[in-house]
Amino acid sequence: MGKLAELTFWTATFAGGMRLATPLIFASLGETIAQRAGVLNIGLEGFMIIGALTSLYVTVESGIAVGLLAGALAGAALALLMVWLCVRLNANQVVVGFGITILGVGLTGYIFRLTTPLGAERRQVNILPEIHIPGLSDIPFLGEAFLSNSWMTWLALGLVPVVWWVAQRTVFGLEVRAVGEDPDAAFARGVDVIRVRSIATLISGLLAGLGGAAITTALVGVFEPAITAGRGFIALIVIIMVRWSAWGVAVGSFAFGLADALGTNLRNIVSDSVPTEALQMIPFFVALIILIIGARRARMPKSLGFNYVPDR
Amino acid sequence: MSGDTNPAVAFEARGVSRRFGATVALDDVDFDLRAGEIHALVGENGAGKTTLAKIVAGALRPDSGTLRLFGEPYNPRRRSEGSAAGVAHVRQQLSLVRGLTVAQNIELGRPRRQVAGAPEETAAPGDGEDASLPAAGRGAGRRPWPRTFNAKAARAEVERLAAELDLSVPPDELVDGLPLAVRQQAEILISLAWGARLLILDEPSSALGPLETEALIELCLRLRSEGTPIIYISHRLPELAELADRLTVLRQGRVVTAGEEVAGSDLRRIAELMVGDLSLLEVRRPDLELGDVRLEADGLHLAAEHGPGLRDVSLRVRAGEIVGVVGVAGNGQEELASVLTGQATPDGGTVRIDGTDVTGSPGTAIATGMALLPEDRTAGLAAGFTLADNLIARRVSDAEFARFGVRLRASVRRHARALAQRFDVRPPEPALRAASLSGGNQQKLMAAREMERDPAVLVAAGPTKGLDPHAGRAIRDRCFEAAARGGAVVIISADLDEVADLSHRVVVLSGGRVTDRFGVEEMTSARLGAVMAGLHWDRSGEREPEEATGGGGDGSSADSGAPQDDGEGATGRHPGEAATRGGKEGTS
Repeated sequence: MGKLAELTFWTATFAGGMRLATPLIFASLGETIAQRAGVLNIGLEGFMIIGALTSLYVTVESGIAVGLLAGALAGAALALLMVWLCVRLNANQVVVGFGITILGVGLTGYIFRLTTPLGAERRQVNILPEIHIPGLSDIPFLGEAFLSNSWMTWLALGLVPVVWWVAQRTVFGLEVRAVGEDPDAAFARGVDVIRVRSIATLISGLLAGLGGAAITTALVGVFEPAITAGRGFIALIVIIMVRWSAWGVAVGSFAFGLADALGTNLRNIVSDSVPTEALQMIPFFVALIILIIGARRARMPKSLGFNYVPDR
Repeated sequence: MSGDTNPAVAFEARGVSRRFGATVALDDVDFDLRAGEIHALVGENGAGKTTLAKIVAGALRPDSGTLRLFGEPYNPRRRSEGSAAGVAHVRQQLSLVRGLTVAQNIELGRPRRQVAGAPEETAAPGDGEDASLPAAGRGAGRRPWPRTFNAKAARAEVERLAAELDLSVPPDELVDGLPLAVRQQAEILISLAWGARLLILDEPSSALGPLETEALIELCLRLRSEGTPIIYISHRLPELAELADRLTVLRQGRVVTAGEEVAGSDLRRIAELMVGDLSLLEVRRPDLELGDVRLEADGLHLAAEHGPGLRDVSLRVRAGEIVGVVGVAGNGQEELASVLTGQATPDGGTVRIDGTDVTGSPGTAIATGMALLPEDRTAGLAAGFTLADNLIARRVSDAEFARFGVRLRASVRRHARALAQRFDVRPPEPALRAASLSGGNQQKLMAAREMERDPAVLVAAGPTKGLDPHAGRAIRDRCFEAAARGGAVVIISADLDEVADLSHRVVVLSGGRVTDRFGVEEMTSARLGAVMAGLHWDRSGEREPEEATGGGGDGSSADSGAPQDDGEGATGRHPGEAATRGGKEGTS
């Protein structure tokens, strides 16, 4: 128990939080765009795990840069299916989303079994190293906890202002918000609703694939069946908690990453005295309360989950 | 570019036809709009006005016929092509995105060749087309992706145009929070910013109060004086008399009167042309035979999140009496309707029907004989359900329709058909979905359910809003019937004509308070305008001359012979004009 008072414990936990937030940031940023456009993509888990598997397999062959790209493209390819079914054919978004989750988890598990020798449990690559920024990373606690990240984490953080800027300052961002709020009016104003929703869905698939790739190639360096462990659904919760705000996604993802890391690290310390499950709950509660109170003003896109059927 | 053919003609349609399945919406229609004129397009619902408007806007393609815009062949394949060519279609269902601000809406979908903030003069009367034509060609050309927008320039553009047009349109407020009239102004303003050189306004005044309508008319006249031609669709004739230069009447997809000058034409004849049979449209308000007080609302208070709520509103309606509650939309009407019917619980005060306290209890209200025709028909009907289900919705568990919880289908169907026929719901097919009926028939369906048994109290919000004269007449008769059979009727509406046609007595609601009460014979537009705007009515003020003859509350005949949409006699919007028209009627 005394370890809880030690700075090193917290340094490690916060650094872990940053790492574990990385896949969540990618997935929720993409999903934010899709949902802002009115497409409820609850298949994130499926996108992530397909990205995770593809990325790891390609990394083994061709290196990490190509691997990450492949993971992202795999997500985008799956998103094409979603676009075709939901945006073009007006299939129910929830049904298709669950279908994609089941498909992704099942398909990756199957491929993994097919390609892995009997008895082996996982495939492994070297994870991305942390980048040491001279000066900054040496700052006690702060530097070690927040400024010593792999470039994948920096990329995720860097995407946050980009997504914010696109949403707030570009015509495309306006169009995304418009088709998510009121597609009929947007159409009447000359916006190609189908096109904007398609692009938003593809971006969401791309980033979810990248998020999955971040798990295998940047975080843990292995693939095993169901490795995403529900993070796709966590990403969905993050978005609702932070109410579709790009900056909120960074904060919310970190809160969940921290909760994740805290749970893991606490388990090593107090496994005898307190049930670990109870400990794991505390940060979730804290995160929930803070975020719900903190981000009340933004509104849910009015047409979220509703397909757009043009006026006959 | 323009002017090769006839520069005086802004838009021209020749031999335009359009069918929808078996229905002929437009049959060989010719239409022309001169540069710098306001051309009214009138006709009943379903006469083809909106179809023609959509064709002009590019939202529909005609099956046959040719179109020319400013002298050039014009074949838009979709709405965006129409708006790129300079045609703006402002519909009843406004098309601003509600979750964005006005300034953001100006950028959304802006034709690509335009730049925010580029000075975009509205055409001057003299060189009208030439000044406005290059609008589409001006600008910076395609910009690289992602196109960004300059929020500041967009805001400045809204402000500049608003100042030019003398409107107050706040650039940074979400469209959601703006009153309907302002949203409409914003949409017109944005169309102009996008380079519109022809405006189509489809029933623009249908949801506006009198002051807002005045402002709209002024705006239209200002636009016309600046050279923008307007196609103005409406079936409110008095309004057209004020602003239109010419009018074209459509009936059942055909042109009945083409481009007739409005000045000097007889509005009654126009109304006759419009509906075909004017005798149907006479108002026969039942004589006032007061009975006991049936509806009694005392000191109603309601705090509302938006709007003024209700402040000390009291209302007593006797059997046989029709009371009209008027006011600019958003001054407490909706709240009053929901409190009177028990759907909302007031913070103070009581509502009694025949002495029974029904405050905040819709179940009790219905049981004691409350009937409601809500303004929003989607709230009063289950659109996805069948006629039969809607018609017996109040009585599903009656022994007549269900035994041991199992529905008696044949009995339900028989009853539904009889009821639908009695209330002239067309078609009276019990198995049809309510959503497939026209607006007028949906309203009749609702009336059939609510008034199957004579109601003790009928609360009707905007009962004839948006209906064509025939359907409006049918609904109005139901309201009269309810009163004649001893019901207390409350009409809540922003439409003065509607209230004038229906009521014996008028209550003005402004800022959640009752600011004036008077008999309908005392109803003048000046008085109403003042009290609705929250000003104090000066009782010593001059009385309009026609008022002496304009009685209607006592069942005398000032209103008989008036077309339904026409605010006649004492109820005319402009005293002077009403007087002249009144005179005309006297001789006809």
